[in-house]
Amino acid sequence: MAIDLTVNGVKHSVDVAPDTPLLWVIREQLRLTGTKFSCGIAQCGACTVHIDDRPVRSCSIPVSSAAGRNITTIEGLSPDTTHPVQLAWIEHDVPQCGYCQSGMIMAVAALLKRHPKPTDADIDAEVTNACRCSTYHRIRQAIHTAAGNLSSQVGKL
Amino acid sequence: MADNASTQLDRRDFLTTAAAATGALVVGFWMPPRANAQIIHPEGAAWAVDPGIPEVNAWVVVAPDDTVTIRIGQTELGQGVWTSNAMMVAEELQCDWGKVRPQYASANRDAREMAPDWTLKVPGRGAQDPYSGGVPEFGERKPDGVNGIPDTLYRRMRTNGVGSVRDGRYYLQLAGAEARERLLLAAAKTWNVPVEQVSSANSVITHGPTGRTTTYGKVAALAAQTPHPHPEAIRIKPPMEWKLMGTEQKNLDVPLKVAGKAEYGIDIFLPGMKWAAVRSCPVYGGNVKSYDFDRIRHEPGVISAIQFPIPDPSLIRGHVFGGGVAVVGETWHQARTALDKMPIEWDVPPEYAARNTANIRADLLASLDEAGKVEVNLGDCDTAFRNAAKIVEATYSVPYLPRARMEPGNATVLVTDNRVDIWLGDQSPQETRRSGSRITGIPETNVYVHLCHLGGGYGRNGNGPQAEQAIYIANKNRGTPIHMLWTREEDFVGTTFRSIGVARLRAALDRDGWPIAMEVRTATDVLAPGQTTGFDVAPRYFAPNYRFSTHSRKFHIPVGTRRGVGAPAQTYYRETFMDELAHAAGKDPYLYRRELIARTNLPYKADMIKALDMAAEMSGWGKPLPKGMARGIALEEHGTQGDGMATISAMVHTVSISRDGKVRVERVDVAHEEGFRLVNPLSVRKQIEGQIVWFFNDAMYQECTVEEGRIAQHNFDQFILSRIRETPPEINIRFFNTGHWMDGMGHDRGTSIQSAIGDAIFQITGKRYRDLPFRNHDLTWS
Repeated sequence: MAIDLTVNGVKHSVDVAPDTPLLWVIREQLRLTGTKFSCGIAQCGACTVHIDDRPVRSCSIPVSSAAGRNITTIEGLSPDTTHPVQLAWIEHDVPQCGYCQSGMIMAVAALLKRHPKPTDADIDAEVTNACRCSTYHRIRQAIHTAAGNLSSQVGKL
Repeated sequence: MADNASTQLDRRDFLTTAAAATGALVVGFWMPPRANAQIIHPEGAAWAVDPGIPEVNAWVVVAPDDTVTIRIGQTELGQGVWTSNAMMVAEELQCDWGKVRPQYASANRDAREMAPDWTLKVPGRGAQDPYSGGVPEFGERKPDGVNGIPDTLYRRMRTNGVGSVRDGRYYLQLAGAEARERLLLAAAKTWNVPVEQVSSANSVITHGPTGRTTTYGKVAALAAQTPHPHPEAIRIKPPMEWKLMGTEQKNLDVPLKVAGKAEYGIDIFLPGMKWAAVRSCPVYGGNVKSYDFDRIRHEPGVISAIQFPIPDPSLIRGHVFGGGVAVVGETWHQARTALDKMPIEWDVPPEYAARNTANIRADLLASLDEAGKVEVNLGDCDTAFRNAAKIVEATYSVPYLPRARMEPGNATVLVTDNRVDIWLGDQSPQETRRSGSRITGIPETNVYVHLCHLGGGYGRNGNGPQAEQAIYIANKNRGTPIHMLWTREEDFVGTTFRSIGVARLRAALDRDGWPIAMEVRTATDVLAPGQTTGFDVAPRYFAPNYRFSTHSRKFHIPVGTRRGVGAPAQTYYRETFMDELAHAAGKDPYLYRRELIARTNLPYKADMIKALDMAAEMSGWGKPLPKGMARGIALEEHGTQGDGMATISAMVHTVSISRDGKVRVERVDVAHEEGFRLVNPLSVRKQIEGQIVWFFNDAMYQECTVEEGRIAQHNFDQFILSRIRETPPEINIRFFNTGHWMDGMGHDRGTSIQSAIGDAIFQITGKRYRDLPFRNHDLTWS
């Protein structure tokens, strides 16, 4: 059956079973491969996208529940890799293998919408994506940079 | 010769799945002309060198606009090899680093061209000679091609054994230097001046006497036709002459990775491609007894089912996996959904089905009481134990561990009548090339391995049969590209494991608590790599009488080279035992270690002491900590049993444990050697930071158990990955120079966190646990 989706501001009509996970529609029908498959059971977060600005694990969301809503993938986060989180990730040279980082960046971008100046406790509580290379040390620094925390602290000194 | 070969290459070979980015955000991509683009690539990965641009040598292509393409024989899997190895070429080439683009070297071309003679000779006098390459492991020709380093163009295309920088430095510096010399020769020829009068920097060539300049891009075409008369006379720069090497350089592919544009194997889409979902027998060595395709034949998108045999162990380093079934479908989701519904019965060898963790561990423990294979026997242990004032004995165990990389195993394969194309992330493309040939009967020279980035490697990306399964399935579907993708659950089956292991360490102490004898017995699967790591040749901590024996059994769980290979388990045993001895002697674990290293005559003992001293000082060792906190110190080394290349570090881990048993590493202080000099210190820092958390996982959470012959954990709900909240908030890293070539550090740093947490648990709770992971134990205290 045809399902209407808006992904990165573009309207699509896809002909898939309604219980198809959103992840596979994004990857296989729309060919947006920045969003990754890893566990398939909403554990690791590699497949994180935004639905109406909220982070979801697209491997475990049926496409039917995303119909008519605004979906954003890593490809749509910024037109030219200039989202503050992307810039901070580059500044801190965060990625190693990089496979989890699309999902991680989407999770952090959503976190910063809810908490523009997250504390370490906020980060610990809300960033639950897994990175097997364990780039977490730089992720934390980059989140603070993205939030402007570091620059505002430096400014006070 | 090389130039002719490059123009003969099939165009598609140039469309390797290489992604490139300059240091800046502006990324230039070369898109293949539509008419020739038989292979479709995502925008962010589709650049390649125009075959119209002749290469200077097999590693270096300079375009008229001075863009420099550097071909990398190793795979980028997060260790930064695309950047560090490109730095080694660019250092000698003296080109503009901002215009460098890495590209995967062609494994197919490697099958058809031999290595130039000038890359085969290792100059210098080994690990202590800064003018040498430090004796790469492949210094000698070993033409067997698989177990040794092949004689072919790119030689060591493997990405393993922390060898990419160590082994690459020598020949990649040479490759850059040879290209530079040819570019200088070409400029001198153009100007009709002696080559001694021209020099280059930043891609600009200058004629000294007249000040005339040109650029690499302008003379590259001539350089391609200007062989160097004496390439064997070219010398490479020692560390004190490095300008680019030794500086912190961000990874060239990071801008692509944060945009979701880096191309991994899973991202390959080809015209007409079909998807395969796979289930192989969960008991290794088992096979398909029957399956009922009729039950799913009419499910949406289903095309066919293909049974595949147990993959030929000779193609996958002797590992025995299971036979299985693939369902081929229009989409992977459809294929996988149908496969889940298809009844499959397995034929499982009963002796394997009878295996479980308890009886495997019991077997290994029993093997410790046998004679074993005596690896080292110095002095007279038996007499010393009879004369001991005190004997300390401890038995430790570690579990089976998979890599659990984030990208599930996958490969895309197209087999036609005379050609095999394979797209995958791969740490052993030369071996995969051979598999492509052996399974299809098509010669290796017609096998094209298109390398993609890997979503994590951590030890030969699994040593598993992903390529072999996909080649088999595609060979049954000739003419149709097949993208085979494992589920996470299948990825836990299609991997080798770090072997389960046990160890018994005994020490005879004198009245002052110093060892007069030490005996070490370790037991693993007989095929486990790295069984002698850390205990071989001589004890790192002095004991005048020393015996080390390895013991083993053969089990059916395939064991291989997970990150660190033998070091994580062996460092855990050794360093935990040193803590236990120090406590038994009533001495400080740092000073106890320090004294015992000082008593050895190991060539690098001063560096080991330096590491301990620096880490202790950084951490504030000895300063009081609040209740519920403790520090643990340990040495990490490999190579210190001799005077060759080695890597030495020490870490202090400051650990807190809440009364309800929550363990947190509060800070880690790292003293790490830089050898003569690190190639990319930023990359080393990142590797250290990551490995600390990696081995925190090993210490605290991760294990695979065996039930009825199968691995019981299949996804991240059962096999736990730590998150940011468990990452030490403070990691301090300092480097110190040792004046020898460093051996590599991408896999066995941070292993000290295991013993440090164990000792912190002992210090805080009074309980000594010797079986990993610690989460299996009661860590509460009051």
